[in-house]
Amino acid sequence: MTLTPEIIAILMLDALFLFFALIAFVLSLRILFKWDIRSTQPLQYALEKQSYLVSVIIKYIFVLKLPLFLFYIFTCNKLSNIITGAMCASGVVNSVDFGLYLMVFKIINLYLFGFWLLLNNADMKDELSPFVRMKFLFFVIAFIPLLLEIILEISFFASLNISKIVSCCGTLFSLTSASYLSLLFKVDSSLLVGLFYFFGLMVLLGYILKNIPVFIFANLMYVLFSLIALIVFFSTYVYELPTHHCPFCLLQQEYYGVGYLLYISLFVGTFYGFCGGILEMVTHKGHTKFFKISLFFNAFYLGLVSLYPVAYYLKNGVWL
Amino acid sequence: MKSKMNFLLLEYAINAILRRGKKNIFILLIFSMLVFLLSSVLFISDSIKLELNSVVKSLPEITLQRFVAGKQSDVSLSRAEELLSIEGVKSAIPRIWGYYYFKVAGVNFSVVGIDAFEDQYKESLQKIVDSVDVGVLEKNSGMIVGEGVKKVLEENYYKDFFNFVTAEGKWKKVTIAGVFSSDISLEANDMILLPKNTAYEIFGMDKKMATDIVVKVSNPKEIPMIVSKINLLFPDMRAITKDDIRVSYQNIFDYKSGFFLSLFLICAFTFFIIIYDKTSGLSSQEKKEIGILKAVGWSMDDIIKEKFYESFIISFCAFIMGLCAALFFVYFLQAPLLRDIFMGYSKLKPDFILPFSFNVEMLCLLFLLSVPIYIAATLIPSWKASTLDADEVMR
Repeated sequence: MTLTPEIIAILMLDALFLFFALIAFVLSLRILFKWDIRSTQPLQYALEKQSYLVSVIIKYIFVLKLPLFLFYIFTCNKLSNIITGAMCASGVVNSVDFGLYLMVFKIINLYLFGFWLLLNNADMKDELSPFVRMKFLFFVIAFIPLLLEIILEISFFASLNISKIVSCCGTLFSLTSASYLSLLFKVDSSLLVGLFYFFGLMVLLGYILKNIPVFIFANLMYVLFSLIALIVFFSTYVYELPTHHCPFCLLQQEYYGVGYLLYISLFVGTFYGFCGGILEMVTHKGHTKFFKISLFFNAFYLGLVSLYPVAYYLKNGVWL
Repeated sequence: MKSKMNFLLLEYAINAILRRGKKNIFILLIFSMLVFLLSSVLFISDSIKLELNSVVKSLPEITLQRFVAGKQSDVSLSRAEELLSIEGVKSAIPRIWGYYYFKVAGVNFSVVGIDAFEDQYKESLQKIVDSVDVGVLEKNSGMIVGEGVKKVLEENYYKDFFNFVTAEGKWKKVTIAGVFSSDISLEANDMILLPKNTAYEIFGMDKKMATDIVVKVSNPKEIPMIVSKINLLFPDMRAITKDDIRVSYQNIFDYKSGFFLSLFLICAFTFFIIIYDKTSGLSSQEKKEIGILKAVGWSMDDIIKEKFYESFIISFCAFIMGLCAALFFVYFLQAPLLRDIFMGYSKLKPDFILPFSFNVEMLCLLFLLSVPIYIAATLIPSWKASTLDADEVMR
């Protein structure tokens, strides 16, 4: 175990999150079982007050989680300096067996907590508070991945071994790798890229047709295939190197940190598309503003990522 | 999610802070003190790391030390010749150097032997050697010293010469022929350069031996291969590569600042409780205020938001204040007292100046370590305050 200042900061905030999330969890359970909007008992009155506390706590956690996620990646990047063999964050993340799951949970939690806030906002605007039970049930469920994430994160940093030799991203993201990632490279890349553009179009189609289920589904597939296409195809054009497929090196200074822009726009785009869509299904109210934001950021990501191969072709006259 | 800044609320929050000036100034000062302490320590460790890393950059690729029974001992000069036969090795330079303990001042000098017709292992050193005539130095038995050494010697009345006590217990008088200043202050400060023969005499070493051997490699990608070849050739030699040194520096300083940070966490926790206590104990005045606000039509959400603005303003101001104070303290005043934590052997090392190092990542780290704790401590108290009922409070 190494305790660098960055790790201590992350662990400390994890401890804070755990403490507050536990409070919110207990309160949510109480509200979930005892809530009765028509009751005039003191209990109901107290519960209404407590629901504010829960929403404040969740806002606090979410607002900190966003920058903390970037900070976590930055920490992994920095740790790659001292871990033998690692050249960027991916080596560090994969140095522990469950590093990738931790990453996945982190991303899922961002979506979940963001959705909770959207739901909360919709609930607060309505004077009848029709979604109280739903949002607290949702938090009770979302608490489990949060707990898992914190546990995984603590054990991740605890089991990080600086003297162990890890693989660098060059071998992790290649055909020779033993992991399931290598399966991706066996599939024809033009198929994956085609699917990426296909789902991009489907998002647009869903927006034009105002068909919410299509829109949600398209967004879900879009985020999946944009990541795959990024690893398999687009990243090579960013690095201008046909063998380099790492999604983490994009975040480094050599490539002007373009990864931050890419990932943030992808997250914002699909978050509003996905969560806004579900919100509309739940509340039966139009949220076209969310869809517009979603469309804009998804298109921005698609344009930016497509620009790299085009620019490469214009400069060199060949494809990679 | 739509939380637009409400400037009227912000204005109200600022006024609320000013109304309770005394209490808030106390919190502000304590908190900025904490931030100041934390950021000073991290700045110092970062700055020293930067300095050491710039030293590492100029070092040769591989340093070879011979170990006998686990202790470092001298290497025979003939080995340098043999190393040259390994492909990829650009040069192998035997070094004669060591520490000389100057008892009166309690300081260790680094004594380095130089030779006129030999390449130095470092560019900065080469420049110094080029600027003097080693032949003349040898004839007059002179030496060139770093600025720090010069200062220490002058304080002890050695104005133009110094008496070394050799290994045999004899005195060796060496005149100070010149002083050099180097851009890499950390290592040049305590350095004494003198001809190899004089160095052998002072250390009492066999003239066929060297302290260690540095190996230069043209292609950095070949370093691991060359290291393994050297290990086969001379099993009693330990190869230290540039990368090893860099990693160990980062480890040492991460460990040191991590250690300090663990202590800091205890402070932070105590502070958390103080803030919790301070903010939950509402005076009757404040209670009345909240009651009136609620009667006027503020919702719980508004009051929580206002309280959040308050705590954010206080913690952010304290953060900026602490940060500025730390920048001033570390880089302008050169961090008196605190830097001794990192320079455990500071008495033996001549002084040096901390180079300026400040980046966004450091700013993020400091921010995450301070402001969220404060806001977390005020979360529950401000919620509690907002739950007060208008009629109960004003009755």
